[in-house]
Amino acid sequence: MKKGAGRKIIFAMSAAALCMAGALTIEHASAYFTTYVSAGGSQTVHLGSQTTIHEELSRMTKHVSIKNTSQINDCFVRVKVFAGKDVDVVCKDKSESGRLWTYSRQDDYWYYSPILPAGESTEILDVEVSPQEELDRDSFNVVVIQECTPVIYDEAGNPSADWNTVYADYQETAGVQGEEADR
Amino acid sequence: MAKKKLTYLMLASAVLLLLSSAVGSTRAALTYYSENYVAKITVSQIGVSLLENGEIVSSRDYNKNEWKVNTNKGAGSTSGELLSNMLGQEEKLALNKKYDEKLTVKNSGSIDEYVRVRIYRYWMKNGQKVTTLSPDMIDLNLVNTDQWIKNPNNTAECVELFYKGILPTGKETKPFADTIRIDGKLASEAAIETNGDTIKTVYKYDGVEFHVDVEVDAVQTHNAQDAMKSAWGVDASGLGIL
Repeated sequence: MKKGAGRKIIFAMSAAALCMAGALTIEHASAYFTTYVSAGGSQTVHLGSQTTIHEELSRMTKHVSIKNTSQINDCFVRVKVFAGKDVDVVCKDKSESGRLWTYSRQDDYWYYSPILPAGESTEILDVEVSPQEELDRDSFNVVVIQECTPVIYDEAGNPSADWNTVYADYQETAGVQGEEADR
Repeated sequence: MAKKKLTYLMLASAVLLLLSSAVGSTRAALTYYSENYVAKITVSQIGVSLLENGEIVSSRDYNKNEWKVNTNKGAGSTSGELLSNMLGQEEKLALNKKYDEKLTVKNSGSIDEYVRVRIYRYWMKNGQKVTTLSPDMIDLNLVNTDQWIKNPNNTAECVELFYKGILPTGKETKPFADTIRIDGKLASEAAIETNGDTIKTVYKYDGVEFHVDVEVDAVQTHNAQDAMKSAWGVDASGLGIL
């Protein structure tokens, strides 16, 4: 019995020795040198503009200024004055240079030429009102409206205003994902 | 009896194989002593770096038996940061404006290599991907298209480019992109809200983030065809990049 067990051990050891010796002759496995790097980045796009009009009245003159109340976005602004035919209206640029407000005969708007930065107000545009003598001076309206448009840029980064953009309206679908958006 | 013979046979084979390996070593030893010379051994060390506007954003080089990883995000980070200097302080992103985004690859290893880049462009908002916006509105201007070969199976979100030819040690490729621009169409969908004397324009995509991720892969030039097939799964000669 002992002799049989000894033979088995010798057999196993010989097999192991053969395997190990054989392994020495095996070629190295094929492998390729490779490496990699990665990087990523993002920026947030802030859109939206919000403006309010400020008017002070003194001696039949409206002192008009527009404030950009957006926290982030700059914009361009323009105003238009509406009055009855019995009211004469004269607008005057009260800025220091006198060249910031420009009148357009084509559409009757007064355009503020500089970009209006977020949080800032325009220089004053005076609207002098002179009702004709036959008009009831206690009851007439002079309406000033204001509009704003985002600053757009060309590829070189030059800013401009596009007052002709017609925005496509949209329906809010926030929070609706994938197939549900089609329902 | 047969088993005993087999045992002796295996033992003899093992001894013979061991002896033959010892003979080889002895021969090498004799050669060493028969001549007197100095041998300089250069270990193959592959490495690659991604550069943005001339600055290294991320690199991974094999050096002294370990991988050296450097990124512009500092130690511990395995990935670099792009677009961090796109805007100046207090500067706001302007639609349609072209910003410098010159992207190149440098061979920072000690062996020549072939290079591939993958560019991912996508939109995110509140931590979720925005799939209603086209990645093409993130206009990363690809240049040197004769040197950087596009994978014909590219998608809108993932663009794969292969650098044609070998990138030698220490050399930098021509840029594969030079500027980035966000399309002004992004602002085309808006609603006008009027409240008293306040007019507010609410844009559908206000607050959306655009993302650009770049991956660079490099592979050895020896057995390039097989190496690229193994590492990248592409037929290099079919793409014309060898």
